Amino acid sequence: MCTIGEDDFGDEGAAHAMVPESSDSGPIMGGTCTKCGVESEFVYQLKFRTAECKGCFLSYARHKFRANLGASKALPKNAEVLLVVDGSAESLVLLDMLHYAQTQNTFKRLHCNARVLIIDERALREQPDDDKSLFAILQELRIRYIPFEFYVIQLGSSLNDLQKLDEYVPKYGTNELCSTLVKLRSLTARQDYLHQQRKIFIASVAHKLNCGHVFEPSISTTLATQLLTAIALGRGGSAALDVGLQDDRLHSGVKLLRPLKDLNEQEVQFYVDAQKLKPFMSAQQYGVKCGKGASLQNLTHAFVANLQQNYASTVSTVFRTGDKIAQNQQLPQALTKLELGKSDAPSMPFVCVHCLSPLDCALSDTLLAIEYSRAVSKAGTKCFAADELETKAKQQLTVERTLCHACRNIQAEFSDDSRL
Amino acid sequence: MPINCKSSCGKKAVLKRPKTGDALCKECFFAAFEAEIHHTIISSNLFRRGEKVAVAASGGKDSTVLAHVLKLLNETHDYGLELVLLSIDEGITGYRDDSLETVKQNRDDYQMALKILSYEELYGWTMDRIVAQIGRSNNCTFCGVFRRQALDRGAKQLGVDSIATGHNADDIAETVLMNILRGDTARLRRCTDIKTGGGDDTIPRVKPLKYSYEKEIVMYAHYKKLVYFSTECVFAPNAYRGHARAFLKDLEKVRPSVIMDIIHSGEQLRFKDSVKKPVRGVCARCGFVSSQQPCKACVLLEGLNRGLPKLGIGKKSKGDRMIANQDREIALRERANLVKNDF
Repeated sequence: MCTIGEDDFGDEGAAHAMVPESSDSGPIMGGTCTKCGVESEFVYQLKFRTAECKGCFLSYARHKFRANLGASKALPKNAEVLLVVDGSAESLVLLDMLHYAQTQNTFKRLHCNARVLIIDERALREQPDDDKSLFAILQELRIRYIPFEFYVIQLGSSLNDLQKLDEYVPKYGTNELCSTLVKLRSLTARQDYLHQQRKIFIASVAHKLNCGHVFEPSISTTLATQLLTAIALGRGGSAALDVGLQDDRLHSGVKLLRPLKDLNEQEVQFYVDAQKLKPFMSAQQYGVKCGKGASLQNLTHAFVANLQQNYASTVSTVFRTGDKIAQNQQLPQALTKLELGKSDAPSMPFVCVHCLSPLDCALSDTLLAIEYSRAVSKAGTKCFAADELETKAKQQLTVERTLCHACRNIQAEFSDDSRL
Repeated sequence: MPINCKSSCGKKAVLKRPKTGDALCKECFFAAFEAEIHHTIISSNLFRRGEKVAVAASGGKDSTVLAHVLKLLNETHDYGLELVLLSIDEGITGYRDDSLETVKQNRDDYQMALKILSYEELYGWTMDRIVAQIGRSNNCTFCGVFRRQALDRGAKQLGVDSIATGHNADDIAETVLMNILRGDTARLRRCTDIKTGGGDDTIPRVKPLKYSYEKEIVMYAHYKKLVYFSTECVFAPNAYRGHARAFLKDLEKVRPSVIMDIIHSGEQLRFKDSVKKPVRGVCARCGFVSSQQPCKACVLLEGLNRGLPKLGIGKKSKGDRMIANQDREIALRERANLVKNDF
């Protein structure tokens, strides 16, 4: 009894759609562009597309970026934009695309004012990089992408430490974020906490710089991983915002945009090659070095990487599934009804105080079942009325009533009495 | 050092519950396991007094534990249900024939009526013959589609009010992941439902073990010394589900509560208005529930009877082309016969 609802596919599922594919990257030497017909030194052949010259490929890739922003009308004219550059290939592609979009003529120009933010996360890394070489690379970038202003700040530090690249003096030593991370028992909780904190931090920097919009360089593969991670962490209700074009949960009304969401790894690789970009830091997340079995995030990352290598179409399907989901809007309204009768109803927030996702605990039968299991394990063979145990379980569900389920999981991992 | 039971009953714990991490002794585990299923049944209103319920029994651990616990709870909490066992004989030599013996043992042990329906009598085909015709790939498609419809047919014959299946928490979490991997939003919407169907023309299916971990079901069956059949199907190399299953098992090793978290996520998922919803209807040919015309079982059966077993596999347009080709060939042959007869 291990199959449910697979009328069309049977147990073998869509195995016919999950065919191993070969991956090839990099341009092909010499050829004719099938789009403009010009003979060129290198041609780029993407999967499911014919060979194109550099110019045609670049306009194809840049169109995806512009189309994403244009079709959704998510970016108002002359908006202040903060672009987060982490040294990964994707972030450099986004920087290059944004710069190109700003240098076009008035008719095609993307009308926004961009600033670049580099988050110094070296305090979290075990082996800090060489300062001099890193700053030489950043200076090079700044010169290449004039007139963008570059700002640097250490993750988790005070906003007063936000400095322009030229004036930045790195500070060593740990900050509050580092010491909080140490208190969390599992790497899963640490990575999830850091992910949320990073978003909160970026929103506060954006607010300080008067930027209403933040560009995040996530591509389809990253978002497929993000979707599966959100599901595994119990963040299903808000997963749509984790993988959609726009995430409007952030503090101070800042909106997070993912204009590269439709690009895949191959397109990023080709773009890096075509524009001679030099990624200077792998987008390796905190804790990835601990191995794939160390956390849910690392496992999901490895699972998607394996799919990408052997079944790239499945990664694209996962990403498309993410495109079809929406935020669970019923949660706050349903909570309102529940809370109306209580005296503290007006002051009750309907979103998690940590991640700002809708609260999802009070109405979930599954979470009630977990709490019921705890209550019943404690009761053992002692005779308790089912109602009594259910009341206990319901009480447990309201203990951390200001946190969503996933953030409650983080809270439960603190080795001391720290609060989120 | 031995650990004491969490319930402070004074006994030594014999197991650690994967769902909560609590260490329990054997008796407290039995009580907790049964109380949880009782709570699931009551809080989700799965049954009503006086109903006749068919327990879908394969002879495996899940259905054996389900039959045992339902009988026990029905007696202890006086649900007032009439329980019957419903088994499907797919006609797989060396697998189903042996597991049906286990079901018959359950029938005698639990004093429940047993109804066995075979693919042979329903469709005129056994899985052995189907596999002989189509080979080892895609055979699970036939088996799965026919079994689900056979359960409906059996339930109708028995006149039951609902069918209880042994899907456990692991199965549901795995299905959530699998439906995401193949972008199946229609099934993603309903795969976490504890009760499906139940309209005017369909018999509802319920999953009382929805919140029970597979590991706990195995432990329950083991400590209760229940007789169950644990051999894998001889035709079952399960490529796609295997991917999701291996991933889930890896996740479970890191954080055992992940199974419930995934079910919770699956329940909280909502879809954009632009995403198509399947319309539940009734097959015009066989009259059983389906969201397409004709239903998959009818298409697969037609393929087998026409000698075109791949008819229902893959795209519908491809199947339509296959039928058109065959009809053309038959028409040609008939015309040739007519010409021959004229001579």
